[in-house]
Amino acid sequence: MSARRRFDALPYVLVSPAVLATLVLVFAPMLQAAWTSLYHHILWKPRDVRFIGLDNYLAVAQDPVAWSSLGRTVMWIGLTVPLQLALGLATALLLNQRFRWRGLARSLILIPWALPSVVIALMWAWMYQPQVGLFNDLLLRLGLVTEAVPWLAQPGTALYAIIVALVWQGFPFFAIMILAGLQTIPASLYEAAAVDGATPWQQFREVTLPGLKGVIVTAVMLRLIWVANSIDVILVMTGGGPGYATHTLPLYAFKRTYGSMDFGYGTALACTFSLLLLGLIVLYLRRAGRDIRS
Amino acid sequence: MSTLPNIAGPRPSALRRALTLHLPMAAIVLFAIGPYLWMLLTSLRPEATLFSAQRTLLPDALTSANYVRLFTRTTFTVNLLHSVVVALGTVAVGLAMSITAAYAFSRYRFPGRRALMMTFLLINMFPLILLIIPLFITMRVLSILDTHLALILAHSTFSIPFATWMMTSYFDAIPRSLDEAALVDGCTPLGAMVKVVLPLALPGVIATGIYIFITSWNEYLYASILAGQDVRTLTVAVQTLIGEYEIAWGLLTAGGVVGALPVTVLFLFIQKRLIAGMTQGAVKG
Amino acid sequence: MTRPRFSTLRRALVAAGLATASLGALQAQAPQNIVFWYHFDNPEQTKVMDGLVADFQAKNPGIKVDAQNIPWNNYYDRLFTAVAGGKSPDVAMVKLQQQAQLVEMGALEPIDARVAAWPGRNDLGDNLLNINKGHDGKQYYLPLQYVVIYLYYRADLFQKAGLQPPATCEAFLDAAKKLTVPAAQNGGTPQYGFGMRGGRGGQDNWGPFVLSQVAMTPAELGSPKAVAANQFYVDLMRSHKVVPPSAPNDGFNEIINGFKSGQTAMIFHHIGSSKTMHDTHGDKVSAVPVPACGGKRWTSFGDESNAMFKQSRNKDAAWKWMSYLSEREGNVKFVGATGQMTVTRSGVPQVSFQPRFAKATADSLPFAAILPPVPQTSDFVSNVWPTNMQRALNGEVTSAQMMEAIAKHYATK
Repeated sequence: MSARRRFDALPYVLVSPAVLATLVLVFAPMLQAAWTSLYHHILWKPRDVRFIGLDNYLAVAQDPVAWSSLGRTVMWIGLTVPLQLALGLATALLLNQRFRWRGLARSLILIPWALPSVVIALMWAWMYQPQVGLFNDLLLRLGLVTEAVPWLAQPGTALYAIIVALVWQGFPFFAIMILAGLQTIPASLYEAAAVDGATPWQQFREVTLPGLKGVIVTAVMLRLIWVANSIDVILVMTGGGPGYATHTLPLYAFKRTYGSMDFGYGTALACTFSLLLLGLIVLYLRRAGRDIRS
Repeated sequence: MSTLPNIAGPRPSALRRALTLHLPMAAIVLFAIGPYLWMLLTSLRPEATLFSAQRTLLPDALTSANYVRLFTRTTFTVNLLHSVVVALGTVAVGLAMSITAAYAFSRYRFPGRRALMMTFLLINMFPLILLIIPLFITMRVLSILDTHLALILAHSTFSIPFATWMMTSYFDAIPRSLDEAALVDGCTPLGAMVKVVLPLALPGVIATGIYIFITSWNEYLYASILAGQDVRTLTVAVQTLIGEYEIAWGLLTAGGVVGALPVTVLFLFIQKRLIAGMTQGAVKG
Repeated sequence: MTRPRFSTLRRALVAAGLATASLGALQAQAPQNIVFWYHFDNPEQTKVMDGLVADFQAKNPGIKVDAQNIPWNNYYDRLFTAVAGGKSPDVAMVKLQQQAQLVEMGALEPIDARVAAWPGRNDLGDNLLNINKGHDGKQYYLPLQYVVIYLYYRADLFQKAGLQPPATCEAFLDAAKKLTVPAAQNGGTPQYGFGMRGGRGGQDNWGPFVLSQVAMTPAELGSPKAVAANQFYVDLMRSHKVVPPSAPNDGFNEIINGFKSGQTAMIFHHIGSSKTMHDTHGDKVSAVPVPACGGKRWTSFGDESNAMFKQSRNKDAAWKWMSYLSEREGNVKFVGATGQMTVTRSGVPQVSFQPRFAKATADSLPFAAILPPVPQTSDFVSNVWPTNMQRALNGEVTSAQMMEAIAKHYATK
């Protein structure tokens, strides 16, 4: 560990390219957007722009759609990320073993992740279609239902149907990240455990999981952020409908910004969302015990 | 010698292997490629039969017409190349920036470290769609709109936070004693990073590289607004198949099938490096 | 010996004259570039646009047209971003829904004087220029193509059931009920009388039932008459169940495919889909104007025009391109690629549509209308209508609540 007392410029030099790029290309626009949230700014009324301080945020706090979208966002990430993690972890463990078609399996797993969101959304929307879709066709043929289920048109099922598509899209991320993490666990640890008489399950619990902890914690955190923000698939599959049934907070922010062209209110929604997410992540990091020692 | 390179024990029987390895693996792979296969089947059907009254699971007639149209009557090949250039560029720039930053975060405890790491995260928490107009203006002023550079900069910038955090966690898994040993041997800190730590973190680098590639490959929003004409990537080209009154299903499914292939093939070659054993015996005692 | 001042002066004048002349010639030779944004549903048709550009450039040397096919999905996001970011195209395809906002933003260039001096204006269909006027009275839009929503119906199914194509809403409901057949009696797949479009864009389906009876003003939208008319429409799904259960989420893609695959017997759409309908069903499909509700008819006029942007630096060249596309030769070729109706009268005999669909379109023109040309309409179409309609169809809100929400939306400034 570096116990240097004198000022070491090296770490700053190392981070500066990343910081500079992020500052100019993301942080500056973000600050501009945050500043816009303090204004009444409707894009097509450029002459009516006026400073209103926190009024947009007050409106957000009183907006029932914002609250229900927030609740839905919690459900959205609360279901999608754990499911992606579980499936990804199982996949990574399997892909880590030696078998002849391992290379092929590893590459094929990538496919859901490698497809553009719009293609995924259209394909899954088609498969869920009651009249011409694959799922209802199979369910009817197998006799599991008597009539086709309109998965995406019912408020009760729409969000969950999209969650299935998202789990499919995202589990390869966990599979690959965890697979890479598995490589850093020394074989000697397993051998020692085997000598002590541990079963494979015990070895998994005592050696594998602790060794993966760092990677899993980070991967889950990153995925939480990504899934919370992802609206492409929802937009194409249901557009946020039926009604508000598949509105998440970022999607609502998007609709208010680009649909209603209300940039002031839309960015206020987005900033609120970002701050709430930040709070969640900070809590998460503390609980996961991953203290960033200053 | 066991079947699992990590878990030790006697080698299980062939039946046991089939049940605990091959079967679940095949099930997961099938789940992963199922919809893709469905898309493939759809793309091989004549477009006119797609919504006919007689629906069959398997097509009666197979045709390559959609692929022929895709490659000869649209600009698909050019768009694919643009996507490849942008994605590879993003990987190069993104890895360069995130590896150096991650090494600093992992190996050094400097003032502002915690704040910086959290700021990186915060940036990714903001819906990107709302950053479009300021970014558009910035790039217009710099006269780089509709160039590969614009997209490479935009893509690498928003993949940096994630990539940095991932690389930091992979670096953290490598004991610092290795760095110290290298420094004692006379290496500079950067030399230690390049010669000792990076090779051991290669699986992490590969995983992060793939992550950056896919993020850039799939990105639509910036690709359509900050570029889109001279530099039209695959994702934007696919969107032109979705019209106001019509969806070109044949071309769309064919495009989707082909679009996933470059990443998959790329990974097929580099996944061999995702193997254990790199940290074996590196630390004596 | 001094040179005569006269010849020095003359030489200077000649030199200056030559310099000016060559500068002028250079300027005339420098190509004027204009950027044109369009959106074709079928990317294979961009070759038609290439042909139009080549033809235009041959007739107008000195003008270079950069025609860009922009994906429809975020066409307006990009357009508004470009305008706000200072890099708008010179000419772009636009719809009336966005006119109020674009005018308010100061994005568009008025073309009244240019249109007045344009010979092609007399060849435009009746009233087209008027419908497209801005609400400040100025002309910004030049009509390019249009469609009118009518009713497709399965003539064979109607004949089998002894029905006539519906002329009133009551007859429509009656036909829909008779043509809704459960799966058991239909060989395994259910048939529905009406393929309702509850997803985005579905206000075209809803309009004939509601807007035929009330005007789109806050006062009338909230009236009992409007609520009852809306209830009739909602009941199609909730009481009579003559629409597929997926209706709340169905967009154009679903209703067209549903009709093509024989799942539905009637849908509302327009001539743009007539070719694929005819290819699938041949003579079994036909079309009539939308039914009359409460004695009156209303159907949606699907407009599309070209507009010139204030940020353009080559406005004269931009106008030449715009007007070329709205004159007979260019317009007929253009609609050949999009499958919509030509705005020119002389061009009508040259476009090839199945006669019955062209007739349905023409017969619908007298009562074809647009949504109010006010800024609220854009948000009505993208957010207010879809959300409220879906909630009403799913029973989350009542018809009264839905109409009240719409009235409230149009009452806000």
